Amino acid sequence: MATLVQTKDLIETVIASTVAGVGVIAVFSAAIWGGARFADLSRDGRPLAAGAAAVFGVLALIVTLAAVVVGIVVMSSK
Amino acid sequence: MVIVVGTALAFDFTNGFHDTANVVATSISTGAARPQVAIGVASLLNFVGAFISISVAATVANDVVDAAVITPTIVFAGLIGAIAWNLITWWFGLPSSSSHALIGGVVGSSVAAAGLDAILAEGLVGKVLIPAVVAPLVAFLVAGVGIGLAYRIAGRQRPGPVARGFRYGQVISGGLLALAHGTNDAQKTMGVITLALIANGTLGANADPPLWVIVSAATAIGLGTYIGGWRIIRTTGSRIIKMDAAQGFSAQGAGAAVILASTHFGFPLSTTHVINGGVMGAGAGKRISAVRWGVAGNIIVAWLLTLPAAAAIGAAAYGLTHIFGSGALGPVLVTLMALALVVAIFARRAQQGAPVPAG
Repeated sequence: MATLVQTKDLIETVIASTVAGVGVIAVFSAAIWGGARFADLSRDGRPLAAGAAAVFGVLALIVTLAAVVVGIVVMSSK
Repeated sequence: MVIVVGTALAFDFTNGFHDTANVVATSISTGAARPQVAIGVASLLNFVGAFISISVAATVANDVVDAAVITPTIVFAGLIGAIAWNLITWWFGLPSSSSHALIGGVVGSSVAAAGLDAILAEGLVGKVLIPAVVAPLVAFLVAGVGIGLAYRIAGRQRPGPVARGFRYGQVISGGLLALAHGTNDAQKTMGVITLALIANGTLGANADPPLWVIVSAATAIGLGTYIGGWRIIRTTGSRIIKMDAAQGFSAQGAGAAVILASTHFGFPLSTTHVINGGVMGAGAGKRISAVRWGVAGNIIVAWLLTLPAAAAIGAAAYGLTHIFGSGALGPVLVTLMALALVVAIFARRAQQGAPVPAG
């Protein structure tokens, strides 16, 4: 039955899908939070806090894009 | 062989046509992309995605039915079963699985021709049936948890910039989903053509798809996607849940993650089931009652019926084809009958005008 169901591959698929899916959604949401906070703090005249929010947002965006690229590379490597 | 390859490419076209909704519906319904732009980009990325991997094609060609007992007529009859089921579910606007229709059709015609021994139970259960159940549940879970996190992280900011941000995100997640769809779905047709070529003796056992098979399958699914199926776009995009941009992004992100991971391991899963699982998860993650469970129930019934119904039609198509012997006459006559049926369906639709609702 273990061979029939290919348990190892299936579990790895479930874990990879869950981590990648939830991770990318959460990190991209953080990028949006950074962008929205940057706009609000800039309008409130708090440039230092706005800059920090912008840096956080940009970093989160870079992580999101990197995760997408890694996903495509890993998928096409087999 | 020419008829079999032509029928396989026709199936691939209906696959793209039928599954356009999976890729673009969420982007269109949230306003992240204009319909023609979304469909054009999805078509291009489906074409590109078909070249990325051949793991799924190898599974379909070698792990589901015994290539030693398969003949081109069996593959042809299986394709007729899949195309017929795709057109039936398209008519009712139901996002059923083209992949399961294809596998069901080939399994049905194989059993009709060579008995149950033709089926490779290990591959069918381990690589098709179990992932068929698990994948939409994982997409549901990932989209549900993801939308909860998205609202928690970004939901307290001003709605305008947040919605705009998620719409931009949908451009990426929608593109990734189209790419993932091309990698998983175009490969199923490549696998079936490869199976027919092995059965015909043109290729050796366990051969990979030749380049011309990859290019023609990619072109057929790309064209089918471009022409698009508006009935199913309506069901997926607005009838299951009323979606905001964050939910659209979560559904697409969850769907792309599940499909890409499954493609890596060679599971030929249903992209339709996965994205609809993601859409339901994104709805339920916000509020259970946000999902129109009546529509979702109709879709699930279509999912459950797909494998046996396509198998039954595939078996019947094999029986009909076999009456005329093992030459080309049977496939030619069945193709003409199928074309006449398709023309009749489209003529009736043109007379009726308005689409048939799924709910």
